[in-house]
Amino acid sequence: MEPVKPTLRWLLWLWISMVIWASFFWAPLIAGFNGLDGASPQSGRILFFHVPVAIVSFIAFMTAGFWSIRYLMNRKPGADRAAFAAVESGVIFCVLAIVTGAVWAEVQWGAAWTWDPRQTTIALALLFYGAYLTLRDAIEDPETKARISAAYGTLGIIVAPFLFFVLPRMVESQLHNAPGSTRMSPKIAIVFVASVAGFTALFFWIHGLRRRSLALTADDGLSGGEYQTSNDLEGSTVG
Amino acid sequence: MWRDISTWTAEVRWIFAKEWRCELRTRYALNTLGLFAFTTLIVVSMALGGPVGLSEPARPFLAVLLWVILLFAATAGLPRTFVHEEESRTAVQLRLAARPSSLFCGKAFYNLTLVFALEALITPLYVVIFELPVASRGGLVLGLLAGGYGLAVGSTLVAAMIAQAGTRGPLFAVVAFPILLPVLKIAVDAALASVLGEPAISLLTLALLYDAMLTIGSLMVFPAIWNP
Repeated sequence: MEPVKPTLRWLLWLWISMVIWASFFWAPLIAGFNGLDGASPQSGRILFFHVPVAIVSFIAFMTAGFWSIRYLMNRKPGADRAAFAAVESGVIFCVLAIVTGAVWAEVQWGAAWTWDPRQTTIALALLFYGAYLTLRDAIEDPETKARISAAYGTLGIIVAPFLFFVLPRMVESQLHNAPGSTRMSPKIAIVFVASVAGFTALFFWIHGLRRRSLALTADDGLSGGEYQTSNDLEGSTVG
Repeated sequence: MWRDISTWTAEVRWIFAKEWRCELRTRYALNTLGLFAFTTLIVVSMALGGPVGLSEPARPFLAVLLWVILLFAATAGLPRTFVHEEESRTAVQLRLAARPSSLFCGKAFYNLTLVFALEALITPLYVVIFELPVASRGGLVLGLLAGGYGLAVGSTLVAAMIAQAGTRGPLFAVVAFPILLPVLKIAVDAALASVLGEPAISLLTLALLYDAMLTIGSLMVFPAIWNP
């Protein structure tokens, strides 16, 4: 996998800097998101970061599912590493979404955690992919580790959409705004979409970096070859 | 095609019968599930002081504790489904004798009968001991069936995964809970609704949807887990 060109990297930083500047100084205040009893009108600006990182965590988990299926089809360690890297980054974005959501909930609803359906389901998604990392660590044989992880990652393609989209919509929420229920002014919509695009590009950059670092430290000795089975290892001699 | 289907169902029946034959020899899962659930029921009853220990408005929330008992009992008894195949080195013969899909279905049916038996044993006892006021018995039973199905299928899949890992004991709970929690959350809500006499049809639909997704997903990924 080729490293990202420096020009693109600088473009990404510039883009994200612009998004941060625009969300604080260019976008107007978001109606209805102004804290408990309207006490904190600026607090709604966290949505330019909270919603995009939640969306990106879902994209990361779907990327993990894609690479898991690829691994099951071609059994190349590179696909397994790509799935693992996506889950790692997805978990970080998921934690960021939970923390930013809790901070905003404290300001908007007066309580950081209320087991609102959307809070519940994102916590379940975090647990689901946390279990992926634990399961991976518990298996020693590299081929078995990759195979079982890929099976679990593939199952995530079914479970994650259920947790992110189906369950929160079907269980009535008392507090959380349903996606699409808030009418965005054009300026807000532009910053929001730019933020989602920026964070998505950031994820794919981090994902690429992590894949390359995992390939460098991989013990299979081949960046794209197959894992050695225990029989191959027994048959090989030193020197 | 019909011949294939008939061979497949014969394999499922054969696996199911084999599981019960092995179980009746040792009675490991039956004893573990039954005794674990019964002990937890006694502990909960002692801790809460029986039906008189809780105020009237708090009593419906006992429906939540019922699922906690069922989940922990299942966690103690169901992981052995595949672990004993690896320990007794019969996994290779099983790979030769049955297709992955029929093996998974046979094992899942066996776990399903265990979970339903557990629910049939514990729920009436629980309702009687705590004098649980169930407004909709049908809702409670349907919730137990839908939740129990998810519990059995999810546990079968996770049991197959952890059978190939080194540390099996605590790993089952760590991996199984996130897969089972969505259906258990819905089942708990359905149990609460049936006790309170509220409509639970949308919750039951949601539970069945998750059950169906879990079944399809399990059948999709099981061959990769089972065949090295």
